[in-house]
Amino acid sequence: MNLFDLVAGVVLLLTGFLAVQSKNAVHAALALAANFIVMGTVFMRLEARFLGWIEIIVYAGAIMVLFIFVIMLLYDAKADLGVDPLPWLRLWAPGVAALLFLGLAWAFFGFRAPLDMATAKAALFGGTAQALGPVLWRDWLYAVLLVAALLLVATVAAVALVKPEGGEER
Amino acid sequence: MTYVYYLLLSALLFALGAYGAMRRRSVLLLLMSVELMLNAANLGLITFARAWGSLAAQGAALLVVALAAAEVAVGLALVVAVFRVRESTTVDDLSELKG
Amino acid sequence: MLLAIGLPLLGFLVLGLFGRRFKEPTPGVLASALVGLSFSISVYLLFVGGERFALADWLPGIPLALSFDHLSGYMALVVTGIGFLIHVYAIGYMAGDEGFSRFFAYFNFFIAAMLTLVFADSYPVMFIGWEGVGLASFLLIGFWYADWKNADSARKAFVVNRIGDLGFLLGMAALYAFFGTLSISGLKEAIEGSLVLPAGLGLVGLLLFVAAVGKSAQVPLMVWLPDAMAGPTPVSALIHAATMVTAGVYLLARSSFLYVNLPDVSYWIAVIGVLTALYGALSALGQWDIKKIIAYSTISQLGYMFLAVGVGAYWIALFHVMTHAFYKALLFLASGSVIHALHGEQDVRKMGGLKKYLPRTHLHGLIGALSLAGFPLMAGFWSKDAIITATLTHPFGGLGFYLVALFTAFLTAIYAMRWYVLVFLGEYRGQGHPHEAPAVMTVPNDVLAFGATFAGFLALPEPFWNLIEPFLAPALAEVEAHPFGLWTEWGLILLSAVVALVGLWAGYTLYANYFKKKLPEWYRAFERAALEAFYVDKIYNAFLVNPAKETAKLLGFTDRGLDATYVATASEVGALGRVLARLQTGYARFYAFLILFFAGLFVLWGVVR
Repeated sequence: MNLFDLVAGVVLLLTGFLAVQSKNAVHAALALAANFIVMGTVFMRLEARFLGWIEIIVYAGAIMVLFIFVIMLLYDAKADLGVDPLPWLRLWAPGVAALLFLGLAWAFFGFRAPLDMATAKAALFGGTAQALGPVLWRDWLYAVLLVAALLLVATVAAVALVKPEGGEER
Repeated sequence: MTYVYYLLLSALLFALGAYGAMRRRSVLLLLMSVELMLNAANLGLITFARAWGSLAAQGAALLVVALAAAEVAVGLALVVAVFRVRESTTVDDLSELKG
Repeated sequence: MLLAIGLPLLGFLVLGLFGRRFKEPTPGVLASALVGLSFSISVYLLFVGGERFALADWLPGIPLALSFDHLSGYMALVVTGIGFLIHVYAIGYMAGDEGFSRFFAYFNFFIAAMLTLVFADSYPVMFIGWEGVGLASFLLIGFWYADWKNADSARKAFVVNRIGDLGFLLGMAALYAFFGTLSISGLKEAIEGSLVLPAGLGLVGLLLFVAAVGKSAQVPLMVWLPDAMAGPTPVSALIHAATMVTAGVYLLARSSFLYVNLPDVSYWIAVIGVLTALYGALSALGQWDIKKIIAYSTISQLGYMFLAVGVGAYWIALFHVMTHAFYKALLFLASGSVIHALHGEQDVRKMGGLKKYLPRTHLHGLIGALSLAGFPLMAGFWSKDAIITATLTHPFGGLGFYLVALFTAFLTAIYAMRWYVLVFLGEYRGQGHPHEAPAVMTVPNDVLAFGATFAGFLALPEPFWNLIEPFLAPALAEVEAHPFGLWTEWGLILLSAVVALVGLWAGYTLYANYFKKKLPEWYRAFERAALEAFYVDKIYNAFLVNPAKETAKLLGFTDRGLDATYVATASEVGALGRVLARLQTGYARFYAFLILFFAGLFVLWGVVR
């Protein structure tokens, strides 16, 4: 538990808070992007280097960029317009969130490491691509293939959904 | 100790994301809150991977990231398609499946 | 034979389905023609020597068998012959009625069912016809169903008949249990051939007799017949005078091979018969409705037929069936002409003096009344006298039967003359403008009048010819009769004639100028009692009908309660559904809320556990 952990934790919470609270959508998106970047560094700290980079490149770099892109496209900079049909949620949403947190916290609080830190660290081989690759492509091949298929489907669907009807454009 | 810290952090982020998912009325912001939740879950996974020295858990986290990407792609495509018709991104306007 | 049944059935179907398209008088002409054809077929079959038809193993061990032998041919001639005449009459009587073709559809159906009954050579087939005529009777009594009184009468007839039908069914069951077959020819052979008969055979005889009591309106099941007058007059003439009510007699005659071995049951048949005869005659003396007088007369004459069956004189009962058919139909149709002339008036107190307005009908009425009374040499005289004499000559008879029968004949003459006098003689007491009936109604009556006068000559006592007895003998059981010597016989005949004439004279003197007379109080009281048919209906209503109606109402109440429970349950489920449907708000955030909330609970539960 060193300085890095503390600072990272604070930043994560701050940006997360901004992401869910900002009235301005662009601010929220940027905050979330920052969140993801810091998260990536945390992953690297936790001996998951490959995943840390993936987090930064894919999550912050692609997904959040996409979000900002769409926000700009739809000119949806302002959020929360109009009359709220579910006003009682303002009261109850924090309640449920608190409930979730309490439940999870209670579950996690008593967690003791099953292995000592050095052994675990050694077993991970730093979480690099070389270490992760064989695990994925050998033991979890089916899962990987399925997810790949899913990605393909998602791509096609996304294109199809926004395709103009019957060649009107151009 | 570090583990518990990160786990609690993940739980807190998850709760924040849940709050946002319930309160945000713009579809895009709603989706963003969902991403935050996914990320929090990922943090939890990575922490457990570190605790058990399990690369499989990291693999799972990777697959989660892939799935999240796919979901965002399709979700945003939907938002754009709906916006073309409705001129609105308020999620409350899309409430016809009621009764 | 199948054609004879099939043609009227076809008429029923055609008229029932398409009747509305035909204009008057086509349905009537069609129906009459079909019955006429059935009559011709019957005549033809008689010459050819009969016909049989059987479909084996229709029900296990029971063939579907029809047989045209002398007995069924005889009855078929009566049914289709008189039926044809009444059909023609009805063309005139029912003219202008909006149910014209429906009427003839039902009429044809009746003929088809009656012929099925008559031709049956196995009891279940006869039962089909039995039920069919019961149904036709119901439909036709309640023909003008808009008036609930008519519907009530129809229902009463059907329910009372049903009691008899129960007897029929039980009797059939018992027969099947004893002999394993319900074919009439089969049973005939079995019973005639065997030396020892099962002990329970008396029960069978009794049960079949119950059936006959219901259908032929004997005491105590006669209450439906006077109410059946609610139907149109041709219905009363055909069904409740000439044919359906004689089905009971036919059943007993057909089963004569059974009854000839059952002296006790036959005794009771004769007792009921003579009681009914007496009851009918007494009640007829107090009636003021022109048709009800004749209805009670029918009850009385049916009693005579049963008396004949009871004493063992089966062919005489059937002889009386035929002559009665002629003169009773004539009386009904003449009454119908009178009612038609007076535009619906049926109370004899408002009639009188119609002799000069309706000369043809008057003649018909006179002939009918005289034949009924047993005026010497007319048809009714020969057949009724044959019955009265038979009570002394036939094996199951006795002096008591003779005396009561003779007294009833006296009463018959009185009420017949009463009917005639009140309707046709004296001064007209009503308000209408009577006119004579059209030819389509008077011509059939002419034919009937001819029959009512001369049909009796088919079977005369010794030493003259008797055509009917030998004709029917092969189909009926052999009975040992002890005929009297010639002088005794003719002496008794003379006695009957005198009784009839005295009765007629008494009736004439009593009822001419009836309304100007001062009559003794005991007579007035008797008349009132007779009008109510001696309160039999009231007794039945109090003890049987009203309790049954109350039970039905109670059950209906329970039924509605059950229904309400089911409906309430259903609507509660619906309400629950509506409540649950409020979860379907359509708002995604609400769903998210629900998901997360329950996920939280789930986590908590997992942790706590």
